[in-house]
Order: sequence, then C-alpha cells, then structure tokens
Amino acid sequence: MPQTIIYVASRTAGPAGYPEAVATEGLARLFGRSAALAGIGLHVQAGRTVALLGPNGAGKTTLLRILATALRPSFGSLFIDGLDALRDADLVRGRVAYLPHATGLYDDLTAAENLRFAVRLHGRRGAEVDERVALLLAEVELGYAADQRTVTLSAGMRRRLALARLLAGAPSLVLLDEPHATLDADGMALVDRLLGLWHAAGVTVVVASHQADRVTAMADATVRLEGGLVAEVSGSGVFAAPAPTAGLPLPSLAGADR
Amino acid sequence: MSALAAAARIALIVAGKDATAELRGRQATASTAFFAALVLLLFGFALGPDPTRLAEAGPGLLWLATVFGGLLTIGRLHQLEADDGALEQLALYPVDRRALYAGKALAGATAMLVLGGLLLPVVALLYGIDLASAWLPLSVILLLGAVGFAAIGTCYAALTVRMRSRELLLPLLMLPAVAPLLLAAVKATTAALAGDPLAELGSWLGLLVAFDLAMLVVGTAGYGFLLEE
Repeated sequence: MPQTIIYVASRTAGPAGYPEAVATEGLARLFGRSAALAGIGLHVQAGRTVALLGPNGAGKTTLLRILATALRPSFGSLFIDGLDALRDADLVRGRVAYLPHATGLYDDLTAAENLRFAVRLHGRRGAEVDERVALLLAEVELGYAADQRTVTLSAGMRRRLALARLLAGAPSLVLLDEPHATLDADGMALVDRLLGLWHAAGVTVVVASHQADRVTAMADATVRLEGGLVAEVSGSGVFAAPAPTAGLPLPSLAGADR
Repeated sequence: MSALAAAARIALIVAGKDATAELRGRQATASTAFFAALVLLLFGFALGPDPTRLAEAGPGLLWLATVFGGLLTIGRLHQLEADDGALEQLALYPVDRRALYAGKALAGATAMLVLGGLLLPVVALLYGIDLASAWLPLSVILLLGAVGFAAIGTCYAALTVRMRSRELLLPLLMLPAVAPLLLAAVKATTAALAGDPLAELGSWLGLLVAFDLAMLVVGTAGYGFLLEE
C-alpha cells in the first residue's frame, strides 16, 4: 500500500468548517515610498487552486510573502482558515507552506539533513523522521542525492529539494512562487503532480507563475494582478472585493518594483 | 511534553544544525581561530619581550582576541541563514521563536567556548602565564563570557544580517554593547590568575552573571521581532 505523502492540517484546529482559506481586505504594503500592494481584497474558498498571474512588479511575490506571514502588510486585514494572521501568526504558520524564489536551503548540509531539519521542526521525532525524509526524497526523485551537500546540487535539484520541504508539515494552504523556475521537463511534471495531489487532498494552493498556460490549466481560478491591485478574477471559488484605497495614505504606484 | 521541554528540543535541533554546518565549513572555523591567534601574536610583538608586561596584558588580550574571533563566528552563524533566504524559512516554521533564539545563542556560545578554549593555551605560551593554578575560575569566566557574548551577539547578528554592510555594522553595534562584559571578564581573569588577592573575583563574576541574564531576557523577548520584515 503506498504511503501517504500529503498531510493536511485539521481544519477543526481553527474555526470548524470555515469556508474561506484566505480572506484579505485592503491589503497594502509599502516599500519606502513605493506601494507594492495597493489594497488587495481577495477571498479564496478552501480547497481551491488559484493561479496568480501578472507582469513583473505586479505584486505577486509581495502578496505571497504576506499570505505566508513572512512580511507584515502596511495596512489591511488577513485571515487564513478563519484565523487572524496578523494577530495569531504563530498559529497560522503551522497551516501554511511557502515556496519562495530563493530555496532557503543550507548549503553545508546534505539534502537529507536539510529535510530532516524541516521534518523535526514540524514536530516529528525518532524513526519517523528518517522514514519521512526518505519518502520525501523519493517523491521528488532525489533519493540518489540524499547524502550530497546541497551546495553541490544543481539549481533544478535544489528546487526539487525545496518542493520536498513543503511536504514536511501538514499545510492547509500552499503558496508557490514560480515553482517551475529552473526545473527541466520532468521537474515541471513533478510540480504538476504535486498540484494534483494537493487539490485531491483539499489543500488550498496559490501559485504565482509566468508559465500562465501551465498553471491556468491546473487551476480552479485565476487572479491577475497589475500595479499592486487585482485587475481581473476568473474561474470559481475566488472573489475580489473592491480595493478600499480611499483613505489609505498610499503614495504613487510609480516605481513599485515588487 | 511541557512547553519548556518542547522549546529545549527545538533549541537543540537548531543548535545541532548550526554545529553541523560550522563543522562542515572547517575552513571558516580554522580561519577564525588562526585570526584570533594571530591577534595575540601581533600584540605580543607590539608589547616587546618584557615578561612582566606580557603577563599583565595577557588577560585583556585574551578577551580582545576572543571578542574579535567571536564577532566573526556569530556573524557567520547568521550568515548561514541569510544565504539563499534560509532565515525567512526558519522564521516560518511553526515553532516558538524564543526557542529559535535559544538555539542560535546556544550555537554561538558553544563556538565561543571552543574558540576561548583554543586561545587559552596560546596565551599561556606567548605571554608566559600559568593557567593550571586557576583553571576552574578561568573555565567559569570563559563560560559566562561566551554566554553573554552569544546572547547579545545573536540579536545584533539577526538585526544586521539582511543589511548590505553587515560585516561593518555588526562590530560597530556590538563592541560598545559588550564593553561591560569585556571589562568584567578581563578583571575577573586578572583576579583569577593573581589568585584573587583582593577578593574581587566574586564581584566581577556577579557582573558577568547579571549581564548574561539581562541579555538573555532581552534576546528572548526581542528576537522574534528581529525576524519580522
């Protein structure tokens, strides 16, 4: 019998049966005098896969970092699975897995040691840790490189390892920033397979990519950002609220570079 | 499992990861130890061959070399996290950030202890100091100095690690802040080596303990905010 690769955070840990995985109102983020986000109001139903599209500087990465609690918004509210992510960020972090541009791996550790660190920080212990690490490495087809130092891995292999780390916990929301970057055809197929597994397991996924056709084909809905605002929403399970920029002390969007 | 035991487990995992990475990068560890030993050697040349003068300067120079080497070590332990965005990932694990601080500080204190332990025989050799008669108080002073330095250094390293000029800012910010620790450690080392004729060792050790506790409290409370962006 195949082992389970996807674990999902129990929704009963938050408000039971809460229908929205993500709910933001007036989400804005300033970098100096530039506004990377200028008032995002977005509601994503639980279990949906959402393609986040837009040109460079549209605010995709900033939005994903805020959803991951890696970056605090300058204004606005954010709820993940019904939990206030600005007030209860510690609780939210157990429910979110985030793949950023950078892989966030430790160069001097081996591939297995990097995953072992992540798996242990997600609360697993004893023999269960090594079992899980072996399973994750097999899932991303890196079993042969388990004992290789990460600094010696190619960019594509590092990306695969970072994808494996997403599976170390039991997220109910997965955030992917350009997951196909640096991957070969097999690697891209791996991302597609993981997207399918998460979807089947009821995990909400928000994926930002310039591979528009590829991610749109896998997604329930598409959100297009432009200039730090939601320009267009299509598909099912995602709703955009009007941006309440009136009253927010936002500077000009000119020069926004994130 | 109690919250304290869970935090201790996380701290040990983080410190173990740092120790593994540090040992793998043996080149950096050896370079730091060599740099600190070189500082001692050059100060020895500058002071001249007078054995009394060398012995008097020994405790101060031991701690200066330890602090210089410690700045490199503490900075490097956080540089591990800055490379390829690992610090952001570390901050996103669903664990108590006070435990992350404890882990980073534990790794820093251990590295400082090893560095100090390596430098003690170098000081004994270069400055003609008899360490054997005072090994116990010297060990306690080294332990307290390493803990205090790592406790505050971990905070400053987290503060500066995302900055472009972090190599310059870390010593600029840290050296004034560790002045009380440096003073107490040098005075305590001098008293211990002299057999504590003025019975002042206890006071300096008390200052070291107070400094360590204050910095651990500040670090535990503030480290989580330093991880925010």
